[in-house]
Amino acid sequence: MEPLTRRTLLRTGLLTAATAVAGTALLTGCGSNDRAQAPAAGGTPRRGGTLRAAFAGAGAGETLNHFVGGTALDMVRARALHATLGDLDPTAPDGVRYGVLEAIEVDAELRAYTLRLRRGLTFGDGSALTVRDVLWSLSSPADDPASLPVYKNPASTFDFAGARVEDDHTLVLPTLAPVADGRLLLCQGNYLVVKENSDFSPNVATSGPFRLVEFAPGEGCLLERNEEFSHQEPADAPYLDGLELRSLPDSEARAGALTGGQVDFAHDLSPVTARTLREDARFTVTSTEPPYVSGLFFRMNLAHEPFQDNRVRTAFKLAADRQAMVDSVFFGDATVGNDLLSPGFPDYAAQIEQRAFDPDQARRLLREAGADGMRVTLTTGPETPGMVEVATLYVENLVAVGVDARLEELPAGQLFADYPAYARLPLAASYSVPTPALPLYQMSYGGQNPAALGWDRPDVDELVATARGTSGAESAEAGLAAQRVLWEEGNTIAPVFKPFTTAHVPGVAGVADDLFAQFPGFSRATLS
Amino acid sequence: MSWGAFLLRRAVALALTLAALSTLVFWATELLPGDAVSAVAGPSATEAERAAVRAELGLDRDVLTRYLEWLGGALRGDLGTGYTGARPVAELIADRLPHSLLLAGLALLVTVPVSLLLGLLAGGRAGRRADRAVSAGVLLVAGLPEFVLATVLLWLLAAEAGLFPRVSLVPLGGGPLATPEILVLPVLTLAASGVAVGTRLVRAAAAEVAAAPWVEAARLRGVSGARLAARHVLPGALAPAVQAFGLVTGALVGGAIVVETVFGYPGIGLELQQAVAHRDIPLVQGIALVLCACTLVAVLLADVAARALDPRRGSRP
Repeated sequence: MEPLTRRTLLRTGLLTAATAVAGTALLTGCGSNDRAQAPAAGGTPRRGGTLRAAFAGAGAGETLNHFVGGTALDMVRARALHATLGDLDPTAPDGVRYGVLEAIEVDAELRAYTLRLRRGLTFGDGSALTVRDVLWSLSSPADDPASLPVYKNPASTFDFAGARVEDDHTLVLPTLAPVADGRLLLCQGNYLVVKENSDFSPNVATSGPFRLVEFAPGEGCLLERNEEFSHQEPADAPYLDGLELRSLPDSEARAGALTGGQVDFAHDLSPVTARTLREDARFTVTSTEPPYVSGLFFRMNLAHEPFQDNRVRTAFKLAADRQAMVDSVFFGDATVGNDLLSPGFPDYAAQIEQRAFDPDQARRLLREAGADGMRVTLTTGPETPGMVEVATLYVENLVAVGVDARLEELPAGQLFADYPAYARLPLAASYSVPTPALPLYQMSYGGQNPAALGWDRPDVDELVATARGTSGAESAEAGLAAQRVLWEEGNTIAPVFKPFTTAHVPGVAGVADDLFAQFPGFSRATLS
Repeated sequence: MSWGAFLLRRAVALALTLAALSTLVFWATELLPGDAVSAVAGPSATEAERAAVRAELGLDRDVLTRYLEWLGGALRGDLGTGYTGARPVAELIADRLPHSLLLAGLALLVTVPVSLLLGLLAGGRAGRRADRAVSAGVLLVAGLPEFVLATVLLWLLAAEAGLFPRVSLVPLGGGPLATPEILVLPVLTLAASGVAVGTRLVRAAAAEVAAAPWVEAARLRGVSGARLAARHVLPGALAPAVQAFGLVTGALVGGAIVVETVFGYPGIGLELQQAVAHRDIPLVQGIALVLCACTLVAVLLADVAARALDPRRGSRP
């Protein structure tokens, strides 16, 4: 092979595109679709079997340390190996279904969270699982620059230095400021309990539904049922004898492995692949529902004229033909966005009216602002399926309202590669991962965050802090007010939320019961 | 020139070329848009956090210092540590390279005899119908990008005929040879490209030899067909053909990037593709350097073999 050059990069990009197009032709078809993946069929779930599933991984650099490994495979493997604190569950009393925790109590001032651990939990080596392991699992990523931002996030809400271990089963976490949604923050499904001071080697004792048998970075891992895992309902789960997770970076390859009978479950399929598989009676295609959806959005840089003028920002929002994007790019299997992130989460302002597609009003506003005919380049890249296609349609929408808009598509992996350069773009594409609205605002939008491309509104920051720091009506009003400002004056156009689409053979059931739908778990899955 | 002097000269040339290529690899990756800090620190990182990551990765030092350190490390077999997973790059490459060498080796086993056969057939009948047919066929295959070839083979032999797996999943805990059927389509794709290039080069050499006076003399003595090709054309064409196969081997290793990606085969090509996507610069540099070294070694071995096979060598001073 030749040394890495721009040509290699372009070739890689072309290859990806060509594979995407050509791979679809290889998928045979006629079909079934099942949006709400059925749980295990009635009666006693079948025990046994080894389920084979394909996910996007990171190659030979894959690691058992999920604090630094950001791929779907890393997260799914980690959730199989390590027990979770809890998962979001809108039907549960606290809005969460607890894992190793029995309960989370919040004091009246919203300044201290008491985490109560279930009794009798152990790691695979027989040692007791205590709140010291919980504390270490939550706090240690903040000290490691390489940790993913999502794992550093609790440190921006809780004062871990001031944490008190009252006994093996009780941990008190003070907050840095009053916080009402701490339960939602801690029980999102991605905070797992790792043995204190773990080095994440294959021999480390774990506490999840499965135990590691074999780990081959870049190829996959083989897991077996953890017979000691008994704290979840139903008590006889997990049902699978084993789980084989395979690393396949390409969506078409994952679909090919499924249709070729090499795996039973394929994760994160492109819209075209999903549509083809839906027409194939041999497979069941499942798409996640909000809140487990990913927003495709564009951000206007407030450092660039004329985006400082809210009439221009509003025109850019009104110009987006959201339904056409849902229909054309995702064949209807996506949700129209309302320029606010996190639909489906309890703190999302669902009561704000849906933004209309109004090109006439957009033209009028642009004329009023003296911005008709303005020139702008929208920069995007194939970072997630559908991202480039949605951007392409949006540029056409902008052209239709009189904007001299162009599209710049960067090769895969390049859009966010130089973040300071990204933050200087006048109009940039991005995507969101499912996170509650208010913590997401604080993580990536408020406080002059570079990711917000010039958004600097201390009044909105204050509203969000109030919403998170109070409860009941006061919290709801502040949250709604903050999101109202974002909707009216924000610099984000969020036209589409796409689901995470998976496909599996009919014998697979119970995956949806694991709740963390974007990165499916198998602790309740069965295979027949 | 003696064998000792020949080998020494070639070894020095290889080392100098590799040194030049290493410089090119390092500076090319330096010129890539983006930096590892963004990949590691994430989009919401403050300038202070970015500075901490930059220092952690050693990127706060000047580029010349980093280059000399990288070069010194490479000479000791230490290619640094990958950003993804924080594993030594040399270890990552050692995991993946054997998979790719296996593919390239098997592809070469197909490429060499088929190219020789077709090249001799076409070269020995230059300008005639067989030559035109072979030349048109290999030109067609040579003109097809590898991902198109791979897709056609996938469609025909996996999707339609169901003869081979669509994806080359290596069994966990075993090597690729534990399930040899996963190798067939990637090897066929690589070999098809190799045969296309190899046949044209062998054909050119064979056509030149076929016009030589000693071949003409053999023909006048009534020697023809396979006997003429094997006894009179092949010995003269073998040395340039072997050199051609050295180049083909380099192309086969390079072709692995495309083929491994299409088939999901966990070799060094797929690894490079992912390293680029994740902006894992030390891994990109390491893999690029190793692939350059593989190509140069293949060319060197081909030169040695060509010299050994050259029938005129005995008459040289």
